[in-house]
Amino acid sequence: MPKVPDEMQLLVDKHVRYIQSLDTRKDELEYWLTEHLRLNGLYWGLTALHLLRHADALPRKELLDFVFSCLHESGGFGAAPGHDAHMLYTVSGVQLLATLDAFDDLEARVQGGRQKIGKFIAGLQDPQTGTFAGDEWGEQDTRFLYGALNALSLMGLLHLVDVDKAVQHVHACANFDGGYGTSPGAESHSGQVFTCLGALTIAGRLDLVDQEKLGAWLSERQLKNGGLNGRPEKKEDVCYSWWVMSSMAMLDRLHWIDGDKLTSFILQCQDPELGGLADRPGDMVDVFHTVFGIAGLSLLKYPGLDEVDPVYCMPRSVTRRCLGK
Amino acid sequence: MASHGISRGSGPLVRSEEARQKELQQIDEYKNLADLVNTKIAEKHYTIEVLGLVTKLLNENPEYYTIWNHRRRVLASLVSAETLEQTPDELLQGDLQLTFALLRKFPKCYWIWNHRNWLLREGEALMGAEAAHKLWSGELQLINKMLHADSRNFHAWGYRRFVVSQLERFTPTVAESAAHGTSKGLAESEFEYTTRMIKTNLSNFSAWHNRSQLIPQILRERNADPKERRSFLDSELSLICEAINTDPFDQSIWFYHQYLLSILSASCPTHQLIVQDLTNGERQKYYEHEMEYIREILEDEADCKWIYEALLGLAEASLEVDAGTGSFTTKDMRAWLNELKRLDPLRRGRWDDLERRLSL
Ligand SMILES: [Zn+2]
Repeated sequence: MPKVPDEMQLLVDKHVRYIQSLDTRKDELEYWLTEHLRLNGLYWGLTALHLLRHADALPRKELLDFVFSCLHESGGFGAAPGHDAHMLYTVSGVQLLATLDAFDDLEARVQGGRQKIGKFIAGLQDPQTGTFAGDEWGEQDTRFLYGALNALSLMGLLHLVDVDKAVQHVHACANFDGGYGTSPGAESHSGQVFTCLGALTIAGRLDLVDQEKLGAWLSERQLKNGGLNGRPEKKEDVCYSWWVMSSMAMLDRLHWIDGDKLTSFILQCQDPELGGLADRPGDMVDVFHTVFGIAGLSLLKYPGLDEVDPVYCMPRSVTRRCLGK
Repeated sequence: MASHGISRGSGPLVRSEEARQKELQQIDEYKNLADLVNTKIAEKHYTIEVLGLVTKLLNENPEYYTIWNHRRRVLASLVSAETLEQTPDELLQGDLQLTFALLRKFPKCYWIWNHRNWLLREGEALMGAEAAHKLWSGELQLINKMLHADSRNFHAWGYRRFVVSQLERFTPTVAESAAHGTSKGLAESEFEYTTRMIKTNLSNFSAWHNRSQLIPQILRERNADPKERRSFLDSELSLICEAINTDPFDQSIWFYHQYLLSILSASCPTHQLIVQDLTNGERQKYYEHEMEYIREILEDEADCKWIYEALLGLAEASLEVDAGTGSFTTKDMRAWLNELKRLDPLRRGRWDDLERRLSL
């Protein structure tokens, strides 16, 4: 168990209240300017609440109503009602349904709903290269490839896509430093390392990874103050504590960094007054850094938190239920 | 919902009633504009006027990805319309300007980069090869400006590689240009660009990375013979050694050094090799030379952990080639490992694993 000074405790109740307050801020312009992140935001908030063991702090029925209001006829989800369907929101939609144990609710509201969503995702795979586009407009990125495998595996529909081709594409994105980028030839980046390792873990192909080299590169993301950065010679940031750490967990090398120092860095990023976590100590909090900070603490076995699944960034109990393992 | 680097103390905790009213009015105006755009698009009003509203909204919120999709719907319709209020070229130029201005303000917004990419691809389809070549060339200027503002911008480097790959479709094959005595290929000028970026800032790992990507290509295009390849390798090694000497605490430099060592190894895939017919004897000489150089730096920088890590890496590579080398002993390796443990306690677990792996 990490040693934590008394003044550096995780402020569970404040974080719960912070997340509950997010939908009451309609008199702030920021609320409207971030509508394109609404469904992601719900997934971040709900996941954080589950890890904090306050799974019921948001009302299930209202959550589901909102999730379904983002679902298009095509089987894709948009960020909010009226927003176009995109992989990024479709993955959040599926993750929310999984966490709420609501695949039956989906079928009740939309007949053949799971198949529909699965087909939307499968339709975005590039048959030539195996990678995935985000939507009909064609941007491709390993983030979308990971998202596809994530959502399809949660729904038991991986067979709808060419997993081997996707794996080959990820392998082609590997760099000499052991890391991965957005596409073949692109610089290694911790966020992209997370998505590529996640995809390979789901496909059962971690054997393709240069684990020594990548583990070393990831461990060098830790800076003197305990925080982790995303690339060499960049600043530390709480969201990277998740991408780097979950990657190390997938490689079984979490012990290659100093967990106590990282724990204390994450705790310093809390807003002690109003709850929530920020990218760095003293900065404005948001729900994105809140969930990744808390998920990071869960990987570090911080007491009182539910176990997180490093591949999915969801409660382990949920992925166990969906994946049957 | 995902903010970076904004201080918590920068805004007032409680808004005055006046500020609150002002914000409510801003919300109203913003929502009205968004509703208007969405309604017009739902009614398929794909007109220049609606394009103007879309521009206004994107200037207020470039992250609103659906509005970028709307923009493409309008543009596609305007371009194919019978009566042209604006020519396709004018529309394209307008959007290039819009995205450029927005990228200067929001250099990390995926959707803007994405739209720019779409514009260029559509522009090419519309305007034919010659105009397209000019368009793609212009993109390099934009990227230079973006990288001048932030030399590590991930999007800009990625877009740069994409633009170069697009431009390469237009250049005559290297064989042809050699026959005509024309100037060097794009890969060469890109390689020179990385040299300039590195010389400005040694810790620009994005530039080092791109350099590593370009090397196999330029050697291939130069038809470099074994001798030229060896002298190329030597010049890269001397460049990185100079960099190490300048700042041995910079990890970007050490990752590039590791890259150069990895392509010396017999297990390196053929297409990545700099020298394709390296003998074990030569390998050993390179390892010994590097070790000697780095041990010299050690005399002034005894507290630089990267030096010990590099020495252990070199020792391991040496042992793979020749177990009986005399340039270091197991005792040396043990001492280097102990220095790593002393200087780098954050990664203690890694050094413990390394100790086991090397049986020290
Ligand atoms: Zn962050």
